[in-house]
Amino acid sequence: MGQSRAEIIAWVAGNVIPHEAALRARLRRMAVAGEEIDDIVQETYLNIARLKSVAHIRDGRGYLFTAARMVMLQRIRRNRIVRIDHLTDTQALALEDDAPGPERHVAARRELARVRRMIEDLPPRCREIFELRRVEGFSQREIAERLDLPEHTIEQQAIRGLKLILKAITTEDRESADPSETRHATLKGTSGNG
Amino acid sequence: MDDDGAARWAIRRDAGPLSPGEQRELDAWLAADERREGALLRAEAALVYIARAPALIDAEDFPAAPEEEAPAPARIARRRFLAGGAVAGAAIAAGVAGVLLMPSGQEFSTTVGEVRRLPLADGSVATVNTASRIAVALEPEQRHITLEEGEAWFQVAHDAHRPFVVDIGNVRVRAIGTAFSVRRNPEGVDILVTEGVVETWTEGQEATRIRIAQGERSFVATGTGAIVAVKAADEIERALAWRDGGLALNGEPLSYAVAELNRYNHRKLVVEDPVLARMPIVGYFRTNEPGDFARAVAPLIGARVEMRSGNMHLVATGS
Repeated sequence: MGQSRAEIIAWVAGNVIPHEAALRARLRRMAVAGEEIDDIVQETYLNIARLKSVAHIRDGRGYLFTAARMVMLQRIRRNRIVRIDHLTDTQALALEDDAPGPERHVAARRELARVRRMIEDLPPRCREIFELRRVEGFSQREIAERLDLPEHTIEQQAIRGLKLILKAITTEDRESADPSETRHATLKGTSGNG
Repeated sequence: MDDDGAARWAIRRDAGPLSPGEQRELDAWLAADERREGALLRAEAALVYIARAPALIDAEDFPAAPEEEAPAPARIARRRFLAGGAVAGAAIAAGVAGVLLMPSGQEFSTTVGEVRRLPLADGSVATVNTASRIAVALEPEQRHITLEEGEAWFQVAHDAHRPFVVDIGNVRVRAIGTAFSVRRNPEGVDILVTEGVVETWTEGQEATRIRIAQGERSFVATGTGAIVAVKAADEIERALAWRDGGLALNGEPLSYAVAELNRYNHRKLVVEDPVLARMPIVGYFRTNEPGDFARAVAPLIGARVEMRSGNMHLVATGS
């Protein structure tokens, strides 16, 4: 049964977005360069965008890591990773979720705290518009009337806010940051890549 | 990553339907680089992710703010678990989590929006749906479960000498090694068998047991003894989508979809218009995101979403 795009978006929001930062952290630990990470993540989303249905996927985090591994292998085959020539199939295959079991399930409370922090970190006007739209459910026009601003300004602020959110989801925040990150960062520094 | 373009289109699409001109512009933007399709999905999903904050508050089983109190039964049940030395993680409706081992002779309940997987000491697993209550008594001769309220799916560990019996009011379901679900409604009891065979009967009428096999479902109406099993393989998988935090609909009326979603959320969906209520809905939705459901469905049935005192009303666009 094919799913509507709205359903797939909702599934990605609940099952993939919360784990993007963990995937990026894992790739950094494999000494993959920053731009490469962006490309791998983007191609992974593209593969998900092309799915007809996600109803059969039970573990979003597991799926994200598997999909990213496939993307990496494809990229190595196509020889698109030039920056890290030592990265072989075997190493790409090692891309898997190394978080301990309980860590894989982002606890609701922690996720809520992270979302709240993302909203709190927005510039004040951006934040106000985001809350009115996302949390209160007002339309763009209603927000424009309430704040006595042109609708175009509301749209610009919303775009600005979303861009900041897109940046925020790439990094694990203070609460959920992987403690092993520091150690691996040092290793990466000495490996001569990046 | 083309965050600029993706964010712009995600916001525009979220604001309302695109005009034909905008749609052509979007198509051209997407066609320029195939990866933009992925970037747009990510941006639109990030918007939904941010909007999940209220749903996550619903899913919380501890107070979000000091003045809010969680419902008393859940708190008692939880305290009992903590006393049992188990590690209690907050299970969110979206993901079935938790590694609790259910002690025998205990009661367990879930709060609204909570779905919990409960491994039992005999190796069986009970997956307990939202707002449900079960009691477990693993006796030497028999494994005995009482479903006091709600719905659960059981994966029964095989043990021919120790039948696994579920009591639902005056209805009994007996299994040896199989998987089945039971749901208790005011109208009656719904039994779905996903693996193997179960036997079912109503109290006092043990002689008229019937067998329900894999891929069959049966409904025992309150106050009647008659039990009939019907083939319903596809329907069963859909009916059990809640195990993955989903609600799968294949043409059920909006009124049914809304009643189902409201089982999982404090923030209720309301449909008063009888014409809208009869609209058939198709799709797979997250049970903990009624807002997404409302926004996804509204344009398809000619409705809009109105917030009234914290609830989401689906109202016909013409009215």
